[in-house]
Amino acid sequence: MAVKEIVTYPDPILKQVCAPVQAIDDEVKKLIEDLVDTMHAGPGSVGVAAPQIGVSMRVCVIDVSKNRHGKENNHGLLLMINPEIVAKSGAAVMREGCMSVPDYTGDVERATELTLRFTEPDGNVREFDASGFEAVAIQHEMDHLDGFLFLDRIASLKTGLFRRKNYK
Amino acid sequence: MNLCRKPNLAHFAITIIGKDRTGIVADTSEVLYKLGCNVEDSSCTMLGGEFAMILIVAHEKPFSKKKLEEEFALKTAGTGLSAFVRALKDDEVCYQGPEGELCLISVYGSDKTGIVYRVTRELADRGVSITDLNTKLIGKPTDPVYVLVLEAALPQGLTVEDASALLEKLKKELSVEISVRLITPVSL
Repeated sequence: MAVKEIVTYPDPILKQVCAPVQAIDDEVKKLIEDLVDTMHAGPGSVGVAAPQIGVSMRVCVIDVSKNRHGKENNHGLLLMINPEIVAKSGAAVMREGCMSVPDYTGDVERATELTLRFTEPDGNVREFDASGFEAVAIQHEMDHLDGFLFLDRIASLKTGLFRRKNYK
Repeated sequence: MNLCRKPNLAHFAITIIGKDRTGIVADTSEVLYKLGCNVEDSSCTMLGGEFAMILIVAHEKPFSKKKLEEEFALKTAGTGLSAFVRALKDDEVCYQGPEGELCLISVYGSDKTGIVYRVTRELADRGVSITDLNTKLIGKPTDPVYVLVLEAALPQGLTVEDASALLEKLKKELSVEISVRLITPVSL
């Protein structure tokens, strides 16, 4: 268990399509623990994807339950291995920032409802519907697994600076 | 800005404005490129038929404002384009914007004189810092509608609800619609 350094662009790992997890071994379980620790160490952070800590695997963690946008509508801590979006609908624009692109924000349009399928660390395959801010966070983190940053999704020229606290 | 002045760099703010045509950005950036200036920050927009640019540029010292002005004068001669150059002080280069929650305020209603003034004065008097603003006149010529959209940083202790309440009396007085919503970026 460790708080890992967040990888920032232009590190090439952030633009790679991550490899699927073939087997949930100790390495994957340790990776998930590190992701959770790193997420909790980042003030205000609601998710971290494996490439953000330098690991090109399809794993990410999300928890919007402590965020004002997500506290009323969430599934708690999500530990996601090989996540897939089965269906999505609706659209809303939100101004996003990302730990891997410090000091910059942009308006991004995301689906507001989605059906998600992923494998949990115990091997159980889970499927559920997410909506609102949790759906936005899931899409943002899953984009990292395909080498996309929010910069690839900016929906308007309205951008801004977003001063952050130190995440370490 | 997340930028701090390096002692070896001179910074300048340049504003360019003129009747819109193809190539204004290319012409401007050509002048800067040939002089060895680095564009650190910029914004461009169309207002009516005018194209406007604001740029923050840096160049290794020694470098004079006069050199920039001369090159722009040569480039813009006879084009109808105006260029203005200002040397920036340290505190302008290392500017730290307002820290508060960001909100978006929409104001719209029948066009009348004073909408921008009354709304922005009300906000300024309560310490609300406007970070971006644009206005547009829409609707039919016989029934014009004025739209003002602004982004503002709320001071410590002032909530979105407070800002909304603050503007409530203006809604009635100016016969306009006003809505305030939070747009503080989400950290993902």
